[in-house]
Amino acid sequence: MARVSEDPFEQLILPHLDDAYTLARYLLRDAHDAQDVVQDAALRAFRYFDSYRGGDPRAWFLAIVRNCCHTAQRQHGALRTISLADAHAEVPQESYATDESAVGASERENLERIMAELPIEFREVLVLRELQELSYAQIGEVLGVPIGTVMSRLSRARKRVAARLGGHAKEAS
Amino acid sequence: MQCSECIERLDAHRDGELTPVARDAVDAHLAECAECTRRGDALLAVSHHLQEGLMQFRAPDVMRARIRSAISLERSTESTPAPPRTPWTRLVAAGLMIALVSSGGTYAAMQGRARAASVSDAILASHIRSLMPGHLVDVASNDQHNVKPWFNGRVDLSPRVPGLDSAGFGLIGGRLDYVADRSVAAVVYRRRQHLINVYAWPSTGENATLSLSVTHGYNLVRWRRDHVEYWTVSDLNAGELTQFVNMFQGSRGAQRE
Repeated sequence: MARVSEDPFEQLILPHLDDAYTLARYLLRDAHDAQDVVQDAALRAFRYFDSYRGGDPRAWFLAIVRNCCHTAQRQHGALRTISLADAHAEVPQESYATDESAVGASERENLERIMAELPIEFREVLVLRELQELSYAQIGEVLGVPIGTVMSRLSRARKRVAARLGGHAKEAS
Repeated sequence: MQCSECIERLDAHRDGELTPVARDAVDAHLAECAECTRRGDALLAVSHHLQEGLMQFRAPDVMRARIRSAISLERSTESTPAPPRTPWTRLVAAGLMIALVSSGGTYAAMQGRARAASVSDAILASHIRSLMPGHLVDVASNDQHNVKPWFNGRVDLSPRVPGLDSAGFGLIGGRLDYVADRSVAAVVYRRRQHLINVYAWPSTGENATLSLSVTHGYNLVRWRRDHVEYWTVSDLNAGELTQFVNMFQGSRGAQRE
C-alpha cells in the first residue's frame, strides 16, 4: 500500500512495536497478555494520535503501552500465578539476544528470574533505562513522574538487582 | 562533597544525567574517596549486567498483522465519533453495524442477491472477529500436516490446506468458525502484515469461477469447486489476493489428499 510510508502514525509509532512488546513482556510476564495489551495500546495510540504534540514519539507511545499494562495487571494480574519454568521455556524461540557472547544462558536466566520477582515499578524503570536507553526526562514522561522520582526509583531498582546478583556487587545504602 | 551526596548522584552520574558542574563535583569526590569509587564500580557492574542480559523481544508478526488490520478497519469507520473506551467491543460493534446496515438494505430490496450479500457480511464480520486477541486460530501451526488433520471430525469436510510458504503466503493455522448458520473451516494465512482468512464449507452447487467483491475496504473472493464453497477475505490488495487464490486452487497436485 502506497499510503503506508506517508502516514505519520505508521511512520512515527509502528516502528516502536518491538520496544512496546518488550516492555509489555517484562511488565506482564506473559506473551499472550503482552500481545493483547500492545494491540490495544496501538489502537488507542491511533485514536489519540491527534493529541500527540511532537516530542519523542517512542516515549509517547510507551506511556500508553505502560498504562495499558498497569490496567491489565490490575484487572487480572493478581489472579494469575506465573510459572517461571513456563516463562523461560518459550523465551529462546521468540527473543533475540542483545549480545549472545557477553552473557551466558544461565546468567541470563538468573537475571530473568531476578527481574520477574521485582515489583513492577522497578521492572519498568530498568527496562526503559538499561534496555531501551531512554533519558530520565523520557522515562518521566512514560511513567508520569518527576525526574527526581525516576532517579531515586532507578537507583533503588539497581541496588535491589545488585543485592540479588550476589555479594560482590552488594551496595550499602 | 559528602559521601551521602555523592551516593545520591551516582546513578545520574553513571547515566550522564548530571549537569557539567555536578558531574565535576562527583568526579572530584570519587578521586579522593575509595569507598564511593567502589560503590560507583558496583553500580557500573550491575548496570552493565542488565544492559547485556535483558532481552529485547521482537513483536510477533501475527500481532503486527492484527494491529494493521484493526487500524485499517478503524480508518474505514472513522466517521463514527465514539469515545475510545473498550476497543474490542467497539470493533465487534463496528462489524455488526456493517453487517446490519448492509444486510438490512438487502433484505428490504428482497433481491436474489440478498443471500450472497448476507454471506459476505457474515464472512466479513467473522474476519473482523478473528482479528481480536485470542480469536485468530484454534490450531496454530505453519505445517499443513498439522492443520489439515485437526479439522477431522470438527467440520463435515476436509478443507484444502496447501503449503504456500515458498510463494510468500505463510500458514498461520486453522480454526472452527460459525458463519451463515453453519460450522465452517477457516484456514489462516499471512502475506507480510496482512491476514487472509479462507472459509470452506460443503455445497451442492455447480462449480463456479472466482468472483471478487469489495466490502468496506476488504477484498472478498468466492468460488465453488468440487462441492465445496470457498470464501477468502483480507485487507490485502485485490491483485495479490487473486494470486493467492489461484495458487491456493492450483496447489491440488502438490498436495496429498
